[in-house]
Amino acid sequence: MSDYVTLTINGSNIRVPKGTNVLDAALEYGICIPHLCHMSDLTPIGACRLCIVEVVENGKSEVTASCTLEAKEGMTILAHTDKILKARKNIAEMLVAEAPNSRAIQDVAVRCGVTEVRFPFRNKNCVLCGRCIRVCSEVWQANALGFVGRGKDRHVALPFHNRPEFCKRCWSCLEVCPMTITPCDGPMKEGEEYFCGKCESQLTMALGSIDTCVQCRLGAGFGCLRAEPEK
Amino acid sequence: MDIAQIDSILSSHAGKPDRLVEVLQDIQDIYNYLPEKALWKVSETLGAPVIEVFRVANFYKAFSLQQRGRHLITLCMGTACHVRGAPRFIDEIKGRLNINPGETSCDKSFTVETVNCVGACALGPVVIMNGEYHDHMTSLKLRKMIEETEEKDKENAINGEDKHS
Repeated sequence: MSDYVTLTINGSNIRVPKGTNVLDAALEYGICIPHLCHMSDLTPIGACRLCIVEVVENGKSEVTASCTLEAKEGMTILAHTDKILKARKNIAEMLVAEAPNSRAIQDVAVRCGVTEVRFPFRNKNCVLCGRCIRVCSEVWQANALGFVGRGKDRHVALPFHNRPEFCKRCWSCLEVCPMTITPCDGPMKEGEEYFCGKCESQLTMALGSIDTCVQCRLGAGFGCLRAEPEK
Repeated sequence: MDIAQIDSILSSHAGKPDRLVEVLQDIQDIYNYLPEKALWKVSETLGAPVIEVFRVANFYKAFSLQQRGRHLITLCMGTACHVRGAPRFIDEIKGRLNINPGETSCDKSFTVETVNCVGACALGPVVIMNGEYHDHMTSLKLRKMIEETEEKDKENAINGEDKHS
């Protein structure tokens, strides 16, 4: 039994070790699927839904998050169909509405083709991506953070809302948080949120060269290359 | 707070994080709420991260992290009860005990909660007092019920004092 599987993403044959998820496989081969909550060292939880792809099976296609999808032999994945691009744009739009004070989210949204935000801004300063929680529990084994509450009240919290002794103050949670870098013009006031979109002009400049991203430091940090629609 | 009681609950569950909910239920039965100290102890003994214990305690409505009253009044706010005037009970309780739903009165005698439906719509408006269902409630009946409970409490307190002296 081989330890590798071969799958097709956007028409190209890709060979990856067994157990790899589709998102990592695509990124490794330079196919960009925008993502936010995924970090390669952490367990994928599929929270942001930006990395959705179409899985074609028996002539039927199903939309699902690629980070939680394990690569299987003979799988056919379409990452940039019209349907996906449209859905992804809507998801990015909602993420901006939820947390406009993040340059990372604003940038990802530009890359997904968002030009305006049609949803009311909620400015919750958190998109529940769970990066902080997973870094804390999986990398540092500290378990000082977690999701608390349910439904619309779900939020990231410390036990009993106090910093426990076993928090090692490594601040990895802040390092990986997409909210720590504000948009270029600084944090937005409540009621005055807007979609930044200033990098859009750079997006067309980057279109000519393969695999170059919009010139933003955060885009590199999130390993997010330019998403090119299939012609 | 008596820690010994918690020890007796925890003794058979040590090192078994999957028994978390059972343990929390038992603790809730004793104290009527989940004291923070007890939860730290639970986390330590079961070997579950304290954030997990906190998360579970927050997730279920059956658990309370705030101290609760001796008597629990549950008001049904389902459609049928609502139409027949259940919202008036909230005003009645607000006037009488000066607490909103979800809160506990200062003297720790009453906790008021609202629920969305108890499944007895034909008998509405329904009020549940310490697990006992009262049908066709009115503000007047509710006031009498609270007054009777308060009086009983007073009598018990006096009798209790007599026993001690």
